[in-house]
Amino acid sequence: MNALASPTPLRQADATPAFELRLYVAGQTARSLAAFANLHRICETYLAGQYSIEVIDLTKTPQLAAGDQILAVPTLVRRLPEPIRKIIADLSNEARVLVGLDLQPARG
Amino acid sequence: MPTTSPTKATLMAEVADLRARLEEAEETLSALRHGEVDALVIAGEAGPQVFTLQGLDAKTNRFRGEMLAQVSDAVIAVDNDDRIIYLNAAAERLYGFAASAALGRTQAEVYKTRWRHEGDQAAAAMALSVCGEWRGENVHVRHDGRELNVESGITVLREAAGQPTVMLAVIRDVTERKRHEDAVLVSEIRYRRLFEAAHDGILILDPATRKIVDANPFMTEMLGYPQDHLVGKELFEIGLLSDEAASQEMVRKLKRTNQVRYEDLPLESQGGRHQEVEVVANLYDENGQPVIQCNIRDITERKRSEEHVHLLMAEVNHRAKNMLAVVQAVATQTAKYGDPATFSSRLSERIEGLAAGQDLLVKNQWQGVEVADLVDLQLGHFKDLVGTRVLIDGPRAQLTAGAAQGIGMALHELATNAVKYGSLSNLDGRVHISWRVTAGATPVFSMSWLEEGGPLVAEPARTGFGRIIIGRLAGAAVSGTAETLFLEKGLTWTLNAAAENALTGVAR
Repeated sequence: MNALASPTPLRQADATPAFELRLYVAGQTARSLAAFANLHRICETYLAGQYSIEVIDLTKTPQLAAGDQILAVPTLVRRLPEPIRKIIADLSNEARVLVGLDLQPARG
Repeated sequence: MPTTSPTKATLMAEVADLRARLEEAEETLSALRHGEVDALVIAGEAGPQVFTLQGLDAKTNRFRGEMLAQVSDAVIAVDNDDRIIYLNAAAERLYGFAASAALGRTQAEVYKTRWRHEGDQAAAAMALSVCGEWRGENVHVRHDGRELNVESGITVLREAAGQPTVMLAVIRDVTERKRHEDAVLVSEIRYRRLFEAAHDGILILDPATRKIVDANPFMTEMLGYPQDHLVGKELFEIGLLSDEAASQEMVRKLKRTNQVRYEDLPLESQGGRHQEVEVVANLYDENGQPVIQCNIRDITERKRSEEHVHLLMAEVNHRAKNMLAVVQAVATQTAKYGDPATFSSRLSERIEGLAAGQDLLVKNQWQGVEVADLVDLQLGHFKDLVGTRVLIDGPRAQLTAGAAQGIGMALHELATNAVKYGSLSNLDGRVHISWRVTAGATPVFSMSWLEEGGPLVAEPARTGFGRIIIGRLAGAAVSGTAETLFLEKGLTWTLNAAAENALTGVAR
């Protein structure tokens, strides 16, 4: 099976993680790489041991966009815990990501 | 009321959903406005389609990405947590990992690094920390256990503020090259050892200049000069060929025939030691460059050995002629003095005695014969009587080849006589054989054969050949005197000679 068509999730927790995240990207662009690096850093800081990240490259598997109704990439989808949440862009704004993931209340 | 609450709740949920969608739409638009989006996903009949946004940066990035995808070296970028954030197609092939499976994993999950030498890892870490880059070789072990010899260049990429963000590694698989280099190295060590340990002198010459470019240790030992004294010189300058013209002639001949051989050249070492050498020169091609290899063998020992063989051949020839003359004389004399009826058996016995003595001499390489060995040999038939009726007594002394022949024949005659007519012809008689060397200004070798207890002895009426052998011939063999007395109690035979005429190892 082509591994690119069937992404292997990056698991950071042995049991079912509390935070199941999907990062939709379009190829290995600077922005998608930055998005991944930022996401990884934030998760390690705030969710160590409780998260999994699945990277989906829509240039390889565009049909996977339908499930989460993706409009633009990069997009981060928080699948668990519910409700589903989405954050668009390279995730360089940590505060925005934390709010988006519902990890910390928005200020002001 | 039970019916209004769900409706209100549903409405609230719908409102929340719409709000969320609105927020999402607004966020999408905002991201688009701020250029934070790489691509848009549009629903089509065949399913979602992805349209990348072709801005100048996107183009450049895509161009860069495609270039990296095309290069044959593996390119891997890892973040500060050592997690892979980029790998190109070559890296996917090299490590057997799809990009989607490798991204986000630590580098150690994709391959492990083994350093060749202690301290390499620390040196690499130091170079990255101080200079921001490192180049070198090490071993990457893939997740399936396969080992790759790689040559890597790692660069630390920094953000605007100078903080390191990414380490970019460009990795080249040099396993094949390494294997080839290792094979070449093994070959080099093997043949260098042959060159170093050879017991022939070996010189390597440049045909263009005729000068020595390398010399093995044995060559320097042969000539007594250090290697650097030989390098840069022509053969005639180290005394191997007579002059420059001979040197030029050798190279000319080599170019025609590829090999030149000199059987016998004189060579003098620094210390003046004269050697005979054999030189074989070959013209070889070394990776497109012609070289001359001269093998120089010291044949001094071989020549000496050949001369020794020639000398021995001449000596054997001389001795064979002597022996034939002795046999001829023995045959003539046996016929002249003996009974014709016993001629054949007497002659055979005497020749056997001679042959036995000869065997002893050959066994001792013509270096002489111990008196005791000669006595044992000639009295071999009476071995059982030795110690009772045959008493043998004398010091260690080695007879010369000539003395051994004469005394051996005499002992043979005395033993034959004793068993026929003398003290070994009855049941009681005894023979005492003794020899000694008296010290003094002129040492004397004496030997005696004393019989007693045999039948009464009377001097024979006529002198047979046996008497001549034990008398005149034995005396002549040692340049001394031999005397035989036919005493009534038994025959006595005594031999006296200057020790230097009879024995080896006595100063003349």
